[in-house]
Amino acid sequence: MTAVREAIVLPLLLLTAALVGGLHPGASTTFVPPSLFSLVLATLLVATLVRSGALDPSRLLDPSRRPLANANGAVVLASLFAAAAQVFAMLTPQAGLPLFFVDVFLFVLLVNTIVAQPDRVRMLRSLAVILGASFILKFIVLSSLGEPSGRTFRLLVALFDAATFGSIAQAPEPASVGYLAFFSAAVFLVGVALLPRTVPGGGSTSIVRR
Amino acid sequence: MREPIVRGVGLAASLVYAALIAWLYASQPQTIAQVSGGLTSMVGAYRIDQQAFDDGVQFFRRDQFVEARAAFARADTAQRDARTQFYIAYSYYRQGWGRLHDDDELFHKGIEAVDRAIALAPGGRVVVEDPNLTMHSADELRLELERGVTIEPSDFNPLRVFRERK
Repeated sequence: MTAVREAIVLPLLLLTAALVGGLHPGASTTFVPPSLFSLVLATLLVATLVRSGALDPSRLLDPSRRPLANANGAVVLASLFAAAAQVFAMLTPQAGLPLFFVDVFLFVLLVNTIVAQPDRVRMLRSLAVILGASFILKFIVLSSLGEPSGRTFRLLVALFDAATFGSIAQAPEPASVGYLAFFSAAVFLVGVALLPRTVPGGGSTSIVRR
Repeated sequence: MREPIVRGVGLAASLVYAALIAWLYASQPQTIAQVSGGLTSMVGAYRIDQQAFDDGVQFFRRDQFVEARAAFARADTAQRDARTQFYIAYSYYRQGWGRLHDDDELFHKGIEAVDRAIALAPGGRVVVEDPNLTMHSADELRLELERGVTIEPSDFNPLRVFRERK
């Protein structure tokens, strides 16, 4: 991995994902910090990336590296964690039954991925599917339920709410939130794909002639 | 470019960017003016529009409180000046004050403004030496605003109608 990628590109991408992920424009613009559960999910995701070889922490932090290089590596790891927490918080529904089920779904999915130990490419594909599915669920499916519609539809939602232990309708959000979420998730995925991977057969990238 | 330079510049830029993000989350600015004002005040370069502030004081002294607040808002677009926020809070107090009852909504807005003033002032101490004001410190003003929004036994004292606006 080049110094430019480690010191400039990765922190820029991941910190941007963390910034945009918490931005909620509207009548009053707010920056929403990640929930505690998002921090748990972010921890699981970092563990998954390490187990799958998509992230080799020893290529970011290692006694053999210079202090400045280790500082760059620490910034990348901290940015990765912050961005992951913020992206999960952004893609999770705000309240009610969807919040509960999506949190449980993401938790089980990440634990399952850790246990399954996929390779880097499969892990990245899986992460793209997880984030994409969460995006569609929150910003397309659930968002459409929050919009004013016919009486029958509202009655069905009310019946569903009464029959279960939480509401499925979410508070309406400006359309720009969805676009920002898409941008943030895309930037995060690019950043994750650029992380230093585990090199098979050791931590060196040099080619050895046999 | 040499690698240590790239790494050093990258580290410094990343830390500045991370600090900016942390500041945005902590201070929750609502407008671009508040963002730029917050950043300039961090480096001590923030200045209010003195002409707009003077206009606001003139409106305030003529009991034109809505106009005064508009001028003060123009003077301190980023809400980073303790003295201007003090005057805004004072305008809410004077507008909301009533001989029989006070306007709770205006008083609550006054409390928000005086809290901003206290938060912005070094050591939380705001003292404005204006002979046209009866209360010169943010602490006095805040107490008076608090009294206005809480119900006390003295609120039912008939002699209350003889009290004077400060």
